[in-house]
Amino acid sequence: MAQAIDVKGKLRTGPSPHIRKARTAAGVMTEVLIALIPPAIAAVFFFGWWVIGMLAIGIGTAVLAEYTYQKLTYKPIKIHDRSAMVTGALVALSLPVTAPIWMIIFGSLFAIIIVKQMNGGIGRNYFNPAVAARVVTKAFFTPWLANWVLPGGFLGSGYRGVDAIATATPLEYLGNGAQTVTEQVPGLWDLFMGFNLGGNIGETSKIAILIGMLYLIFRGVIHPKIPILYIVSTFLIMGFWSSFNFNFMMSHVLTGTLFFGATYMATDYSSGSLTPQGKTVFAIGCGVLTAFFRIVFDFPGGVGFAILIMNALAPYIDSKLMPRIYGHETRPQVDYDRQKSNS
Amino acid sequence: MRFSFMGKHGGSHPEENKSRTSQLPIVDATVPKILIFPVSMHIGAPAKPVVEVGDKVKVGQLIAEEGGFISANIYSSVSGEVIAIEKRPTAKGPTDSIIIKNDYEYTKADPIVEPGHSHEMDKDKIVETVRKAGIVGMGGATFPTAVKLSPPPGMTIDTLIINGAECEPYSTSDHRVMVEYADEIVDGINLARTLFPRLKQIYIGIEDNKPNAIEALRKASEDFDDITVRPLKTMYPQGSEKNLIKTLTNREVRPGGLPAEVRCVVMNTSTIRQCYRACEFGEPLIERIVSVSGTPIKEPKNLRVKIGTPMDSLIEDCGGFSEVPGKVLSGGPMMGQAVSDLGVVIIKGTTAVTVLTPEEANQGEEQDCIMCSECLNVCPVSLQPILISDAFERGNIDKAEELGAMDCIECGNCSFICPSKIPLLENIRNAKAAIKAKKEG
Repeated sequence: MAQAIDVKGKLRTGPSPHIRKARTAAGVMTEVLIALIPPAIAAVFFFGWWVIGMLAIGIGTAVLAEYTYQKLTYKPIKIHDRSAMVTGALVALSLPVTAPIWMIIFGSLFAIIIVKQMNGGIGRNYFNPAVAARVVTKAFFTPWLANWVLPGGFLGSGYRGVDAIATATPLEYLGNGAQTVTEQVPGLWDLFMGFNLGGNIGETSKIAILIGMLYLIFRGVIHPKIPILYIVSTFLIMGFWSSFNFNFMMSHVLTGTLFFGATYMATDYSSGSLTPQGKTVFAIGCGVLTAFFRIVFDFPGGVGFAILIMNALAPYIDSKLMPRIYGHETRPQVDYDRQKSNS
Repeated sequence: MRFSFMGKHGGSHPEENKSRTSQLPIVDATVPKILIFPVSMHIGAPAKPVVEVGDKVKVGQLIAEEGGFISANIYSSVSGEVIAIEKRPTAKGPTDSIIIKNDYEYTKADPIVEPGHSHEMDKDKIVETVRKAGIVGMGGATFPTAVKLSPPPGMTIDTLIINGAECEPYSTSDHRVMVEYADEIVDGINLARTLFPRLKQIYIGIEDNKPNAIEALRKASEDFDDITVRPLKTMYPQGSEKNLIKTLTNREVRPGGLPAEVRCVVMNTSTIRQCYRACEFGEPLIERIVSVSGTPIKEPKNLRVKIGTPMDSLIEDCGGFSEVPGKVLSGGPMMGQAVSDLGVVIIKGTTAVTVLTPEEANQGEEQDCIMCSECLNVCPVSLQPILISDAFERGNIDKAEELGAMDCIECGNCSFICPSKIPLLENIRNAKAAIKAKKEG
């Protein structure tokens, strides 16, 4: 029987492997965007419809900024990798509902232009763009950021949370030397669910973040040890600090940016550690520093500073913890950093 | 997608795609009119033809003899006439080949040793017979087996590992050999006892996606306490020699070293069976089991194939193509070689013929690295593929070497897993070539 199909000249060659896994870089970013849906829904539920506007402004600015920057610098346009969308969404979710529009735009511009593109673009930036943006906005624009606004519900608060009530944050009672939980701190259930809890719109509902975290873990996008070791490290340090006051330890875990940062920010590929053991050190470092900042200092944003410091240390950690190659006695001792343009 | 808490897997999980052939019994392939025997179908020196154009040959007659210590004899798999000795395409490019026209008489040559005396053979006789039979690693490595069976003096072998992992997607030839010839594999192991008198432990490593092979070998080896059939996690590249040694004995072979240095010998299931058949029946290596599969193949099969049979003959045996193929591979999709001509023949190390659709063979569009670290997680020898690839692309060959480029076993996991579709293995291969060139130059 002759072959019905003539293959002469049609067969492709090329080196092995001949198959590729279906997942693409843009696909990875899409997974992160999907994982941001639960906290985004929770944010709309607690803080109102303006959250959608904030997300649109954050994402729109980030994508436009990346496009414009690449256009003006004659670089290939890469907005289709969807990483700018992730950054824009994280910037928006890291602000309170009262944040002025210009601040969302500033945050996205700073993240994309200064932190990401001017450091080489995707996969080369040392600092997490969204974290750097939130730390900078916090540091310079605190007067415009009534940080802890109580939620007004879907219709209650509306545009820019006009009905929002600004109060002190629970961390002011939990941190700065405190060792016990005072009555000003909401109960653990409220902290976990996000009920009657103020703060940055994406961060208040820990259950929503947990759903996003589990999604990312089970889709194989993030390594489970990063969020787990981060949160457990903070938990344990708070335990040592408070003579293992469980309520105090749990209140810290469920307060502030810890859950959000551990899930969506410390797990960032580019600014985190590359090596398996480096990831362990990176995550524990984030957790320890977060606890340290909360105990010692009287300012918000410990998670942001912790992650930025570990971002800065990540290349050093990686160079010291390169995996031992099969059959070798020691780790490779190589000074090589692919994020550096002249390595 | 699977994950592990420590983030490091040391392997990947490509679609197995074995179900179309894994339960099909081995059947004889059609023997073609013309058979082609490349004189270089093994690692080492090419064999030297000992026949001339016009010579009549018999089944099992020597047609090319080993061309050095690391080389292997080649025998005719049919009876007929030598019609040409010329270059023919192979998976590795045009190679001198002996072309034989089949007379379909199947006149047999004398066996290479007198049949029925394998149990009386001493060490030297067994190695000599294996060498004479032209046996090479049939799992694809094609390293001459007799050389492997004679470790350098001073090296004691205490562990024999039979490699039945068969981790390449689509491939099922070893699986069928284990199910259908479990007894011959165990007979081969018992021959090896003579070779390695200090043997303490014998492992048969089989991926746990082949329960009937595990069962068949457990049954065949139940009388021998020192033979352990060890189910292995299904993960690519579980069957890599170095990793199999590590998994089963927790020993690591040093860079560039031999398994014998850590007291291990690893043999593929088909190879050990062939050693037994050579010693017991005086049979040279003239046929092997090949699985032919892939989406465009109409009726995938496990075939008993005469060495020298062109691929198009096997594809016809399998009903031909149901759609236009994108790639035809000698071997599996992870480590096999793409051929541009279906006249390429089955040689001693061809485990499978795998055919991919153009979509399945699509390599994707290369993008910037996002530092996901998946290539580190799947590398079975713990390299940092992206760094080696990056160093090579920047022309920094020294850094590529310091990062361990030469330790790469070329399994392909890094390129396979990369979401940015960076040709990591290709870059690492090029880095290796550049490092070698630099050393020689």
